[in-house]
Amino acid sequence: MTDDSRRPVTVLSGFLGSGKTTLLRRYLAAHRRGGIAVVINEFGAVGVDHHLVRMVEEKSVLLGGGCVCCSRRVDLVRTLRELLDLEGSGALPPLEQVVIETSGIADPVPILFTLATEPMLKHQFVASSVVVTLGALNAAGEIERHPEVRKQIIAADRVVVTKADLATRDAIAACRMRVSALNPMADITLSFLGDGCEVLAPAARPDHAYASPLGADPRPAPPHPDVQSTALGFSGPLDWPAFTVWLGMLLEARGPDVLRVKGLLDIGDAGPVVMNVAQHVVHPPEHLRAWPAGADRPYLVFITRGIDPALIPQSFAVFQRAAGRPDLSITGLA
Amino acid sequence: MCVLCGQLFSESHWSERLLDAKAVSRGADETTRRQSRHARTRLIATVLACYGLEVSDDLSALNYVLGDRKGRREVVANLAELWRAAGRMAGRPLDPLDPALLDSLRRITPST
Repeated sequence: MTDDSRRPVTVLSGFLGSGKTTLLRRYLAAHRRGGIAVVINEFGAVGVDHHLVRMVEEKSVLLGGGCVCCSRRVDLVRTLRELLDLEGSGALPPLEQVVIETSGIADPVPILFTLATEPMLKHQFVASSVVVTLGALNAAGEIERHPEVRKQIIAADRVVVTKADLATRDAIAACRMRVSALNPMADITLSFLGDGCEVLAPAARPDHAYASPLGADPRPAPPHPDVQSTALGFSGPLDWPAFTVWLGMLLEARGPDVLRVKGLLDIGDAGPVVMNVAQHVVHPPEHLRAWPAGADRPYLVFITRGIDPALIPQSFAVFQRAAGRPDLSITGLA
Repeated sequence: MCVLCGQLFSESHWSERLLDAKAVSRGADETTRRQSRHARTRLIATVLACYGLEVSDDLSALNYVLGDRKGRREVVANLAELWRAAGRMAGRPLDPLDPALLDSLRRITPST
């Protein structure tokens, strides 16, 4: 997510049987240069001997605050530190990327939390993206029945609809709509016969990744009853300190129910500020030097649970007005 | 970084991080720490007044001094701690979506 020197970490998640391992195996086979470390939770078909593979038993420790997303993955802390030691001793080539393949029912957010907050790791690694696989054939049922799947999709930067070769065009379209309904910001790609593995690369984001997700597709079916999606547009630059006060207070009060916040904000400078929040994990706001080619307007998308969507723009506007921006108009985007 | 577990971290709250000054093409002062801090504290004071609380920066502008009308005072290091301490002092959670709070703020800060 940044151009710093930290080692990029790609989190690969997805429900049981959704094709995570196939995608990873293809990716590793296509990148035989080494320098990619893989952390998995079970030895399976990944076995690519020119890459370093480490197995972990997913183990979380709930931290003092008590919210589930703020569990620290102690297994990852130990494993990533070990990788640094091996690299430092010369036993490993310089690490170009770490891919963490989670179990099928894992929540990716504690991994992001661990990477962002562990005192040593946060200076050595940076979350590059969360990639989630979703089997085209069973997507609807899995989204409906399994909260783990919904969590994974909401946390995703990229969703790969796998086994697209086995599904009808209508089924794939329905799958895309369901994903968009849950997470309008997710970049959705299709995988036929295991292709499309380059989504795992820690490449810079394409411009379209910044574009407002709204209006690109016909609005899909409503998301799951548990989840609301609210998209806001702005008539002009907003007051950044007021926004940070408002969002900080919102996350403190309603954090467990603010599942995701993502967007581009105009604060009156040449470039926008990229916001990316996954539950309580606030990625450091990234200030771009210019507006990306694919994005022509500021927006902010909220994915929430049990919050009246109408209250969000109302409250946002009141705080902006209190900070001296009475002229800022905040509208819901469809 | 985390609003619930913020006290465990030594680094500043995300909202208090400086934006990249090189990216600022105009109004560079707007992104300096002190000015942002001052604007933030002023708004927080407006919000907390609705709960009968007050807040100010300490001399270093690194900590917040939170208080109530009974004379209680508490020094907190960042925004995450501030909201928690304010909730304890007010005896109820502070929710920016609370319609009563929004009504109070609208009355204090009319639209024109």
